[in-house]
Amino acid sequence: MISSRMRLFGAVVALLLGASGPAAAQQLELKLMAPAAPGGGWDQTARSMQQALVASGVARSVQVTNVPGAGGSVGIAQFVNSAKGDGNQMMVNGFVMVGALAMNKSPVTLDQVTPIARLTEEIQVIVVPANSPLKTAQDLAAAVKADIAKVTFAGGSAGGVDHVMAALFAGTVGADAKKINYIPFSGGGESLAAILGGKVTAGISGLSEYEGQIKAGKLRALGVTSAQRLPGVDIPTFKEQGIDLVLANWRSVVAPPGITPEQRKVLSDAVEKMVKSDAWKEILKQKGWDDAYLGGDAFADFLKKEIVRVTDVLKSVGLVKS
Amino acid sequence: MTPDTASENPPRAPARRVDRAGVVIAAALAVLAAVLVWDASKLPSTTMYGMGPEAMPVVIAIGLVILAAGNLIDALRGNLPPRESMDPKPVWLIIGGLALLIAIIGFGGGFILATSALFITTSAAFGRRAVLADTAIALVITTLIYLAFDKLLTLSLPAGPLERLL
Amino acid sequence: MMDTFAALAHGMAVAMQPMNLLYALIGVFLGTAVGVLPGIGPALTVALLLPVTYKLDPGGSLIMFAGIYYGGMYGGSTTAILINTPGESASMATALEGNKMAKAGRGGPALATSAIGSFVAGTIATIGLAFLAPWLVDFAVRFGPEDYFALMCVAFVTVSATFGDSPVRGLTSLFIGLTLGLVGIDKLTGQARLAFGIPELLDGVEVTTLAVGLFAVGEALYVASRRHHAEEKLEPVRGSLWMTREDWRRSWKPWLRGTLFGFPIGALPAGGAEIPTFLSYSTERRLTKHPEEFGKGAIEGVAGPEAANNASAAGTLVPLLTLGLPTSATAAMMLAGFQQYGLNPGPLLFAERPDLVWGLIASLFIANGMLLVLNLPLVGLWVRLLAIPQPWLYAGILVFATMGTIAAKPSVVELSMLAAFGVMGFLMRRFDFPIAPVVIGLILGPIAESQLRRALAISLGDPMVLLQSPMSATLLGIALIALLAPFVLKGLGRFKANED
Repeated sequence: MISSRMRLFGAVVALLLGASGPAAAQQLELKLMAPAAPGGGWDQTARSMQQALVASGVARSVQVTNVPGAGGSVGIAQFVNSAKGDGNQMMVNGFVMVGALAMNKSPVTLDQVTPIARLTEEIQVIVVPANSPLKTAQDLAAAVKADIAKVTFAGGSAGGVDHVMAALFAGTVGADAKKINYIPFSGGGESLAAILGGKVTAGISGLSEYEGQIKAGKLRALGVTSAQRLPGVDIPTFKEQGIDLVLANWRSVVAPPGITPEQRKVLSDAVEKMVKSDAWKEILKQKGWDDAYLGGDAFADFLKKEIVRVTDVLKSVGLVKS
Repeated sequence: MTPDTASENPPRAPARRVDRAGVVIAAALAVLAAVLVWDASKLPSTTMYGMGPEAMPVVIAIGLVILAAGNLIDALRGNLPPRESMDPKPVWLIIGGLALLIAIIGFGGGFILATSALFITTSAAFGRRAVLADTAIALVITTLIYLAFDKLLTLSLPAGPLERLL
Repeated sequence: MMDTFAALAHGMAVAMQPMNLLYALIGVFLGTAVGVLPGIGPALTVALLLPVTYKLDPGGSLIMFAGIYYGGMYGGSTTAILINTPGESASMATALEGNKMAKAGRGGPALATSAIGSFVAGTIATIGLAFLAPWLVDFAVRFGPEDYFALMCVAFVTVSATFGDSPVRGLTSLFIGLTLGLVGIDKLTGQARLAFGIPELLDGVEVTTLAVGLFAVGEALYVASRRHHAEEKLEPVRGSLWMTREDWRRSWKPWLRGTLFGFPIGALPAGGAEIPTFLSYSTERRLTKHPEEFGKGAIEGVAGPEAANNASAAGTLVPLLTLGLPTSATAAMMLAGFQQYGLNPGPLLFAERPDLVWGLIASLFIANGMLLVLNLPLVGLWVRLLAIPQPWLYAGILVFATMGTIAAKPSVVELSMLAAFGVMGFLMRRFDFPIAPVVIGLILGPIAESQLRRALAISLGDPMVLLQSPMSATLLGIALIALLAPFVLKGLGRFKANED
């Protein structure tokens, strides 16, 4: 993760030092907030956008600011309050923010911002150690149904995408999601060690994080959360195994509340142009992100549905008081 | 801290002299323990397996209560190490400088003004009286730091009116 | 095994070319220059400077990268020693004795022992990496939550070495740190503790904010409050600028012991660099023949932790190279070094691309050596910083100290915490409470708690899990012995004294 940030810094520095952008740059001067510390996923997304927007000549300048804190709760509060009606500001966010806002009882919600577009997504995977008796997602489902307490899931922070996925899995196969034994670890490294060492039954993470271990045969992937098989991924989806679990860890960009429809169109057009630029495609390739562009009202719709879904799951596992 | 300079102070009454500061410290620890328990009591018990989030605060609170008692006994016996006299003025000057820094950052005055204010007050606290010269030094140093971060490292420090001129 | 040597020799041959040596020198210089800024640890230093390496050929770029990395590490220790402002939590133990040495005019030997100790530890640990990695990683993966908890117990027991002369005041400091460690979102359930509805507190107390507040700000306040007693004159150099024969004699064993702590614990996926540095500090304090110097600037207290810090950084390469696991920010930077070439470290890397693995390791050796070449002559220059007149020196320290926080988290809440911790550090100094245990409590408390709760969740609440794992049972035994040993030894000592 950090490595890509470094590459990015490289590009940014290169831009600053020499490479003058296209001469016919537009007059758009944007401020882009990453509601996280430098280096994380949202920061990388923001800085990649900065790079692509400037390189493709969509904007004349883009300034990235970091407002870290509590899964984006601090950033969005500042964004909604101080950027209201400003058509030159945007904020990066993603799946994790939905859960974080609900869990932290944030007074500000994602209903208040103006959706612009979804940019990228990563599919999720469930793995078991190579010597586990569980061979398929159905085996795991059976184990969960037999005694849910004994099936321990290792994954990322409480209420994050991995946790939501564990609860969805249990619920989908007909067990009581409230009873899942989910054990949050800080960072992929620690949870991977716990899985490899056989301390837990199964592990949940983004696919890219465990891909090397899966290919090396140390972990067995039971299923991925994409709707169809993805090119180059030789792992069955949950759907084809009869478990209706479709989920992705997405990242998107939003604008402040109270902007005019014209301002919204300017920003949407800029993002759309950026997504189609070669600079952006190059960045996606470098970082191994999947293009998941979804613009306009379709995204607004998607966002609403995700908020409802995630909040329901978190209520079901007792992380959010209903 | 340094017993060799303690001779400057009037000699302390030997034993059995209640140390008021020590009593205050013990009380503060007890209050902290109470806060921990109060905060833990508000935590919903949602944990299905193992230990909940409320267990550890209670354990720590118990430890704090015991330590409060220990500190209280030390204070009542006058067992605390000797303290030298202190000059509160420079301390307040520096704290004022920190408060000024926070206020300037909070109101969007920018990095250069905020850290310059801290530099000048600290320097004054350490006995400098040449405020104008120090102001000049502070502005130059902090501007250089700002430029190094902003231009070379592309990390954005808070910008105010001065930074926008650069 | 022979292949290992051959591959390493080949990597060395590449790295020793004159052009590559120059790149190493430039890398070390840039890394040191940026690394001395507080709040910018080695990870961020490399992140910021990595772009510089892009324009070079792969060999040169890898070497400059290694140079920046080692330079950044060393830069962080420099500020810890000179101005009591540890740039990252791993160099905090260094600040304890290192700054005392600097104040006593022995900043030169402190910087030298830290540079040479880093070199020695880095070299030994890199050799360990080359030969022990496959075996060590097996061990590391088997380390479960209950074992980590037991390791924390060992750490907690040895922490008492930083307590000073009153156990009550030492424990009070530790418990204040533990309390601060509770602040924020609970990792296992997502519930907020002690956040009082302030969103900025949800992420908990930042270790660097606490350390810089207590150490640097607290110190400035304390020195200012006592200025009327007598102007404290800092002498940059008293005695030799270099390490004396005595310094060498007292340093080499701590270097080796620090390496022994740092390398294996660094190899654990959740081991980190803080625990080995403090274990090393405590051990040196116990073993030293000059206990009276501890707290006033004992060179063992600098040599050991610095070696442990560097060895643990090499230790993190074990899971990185064999499993593809970046277990620390430092390791994540190493990963970056690989990904520049489209390589993904993991189980297959040693088999598939030994040339690059050994190229990187050879670069680390070279950079490590270059650090000595560049920085030992600079020691004299660094300690001159202390000759700056006191008002400007402390004003500069405070600007530097706040700058780190402003750069990382420019919020009013975070800065207020920094100021509050500064006042706390001042009061603790005034009332003679030791400072280090607060920071240790903040670091260790949350780890111990989450690992214990993970272990209990996996075992469905059965505490026997702590004794069923042989590793955990052994470590708990060690903790118990370490707890009782001082009393037993004291008894023995009295017995011996009677005999004399």
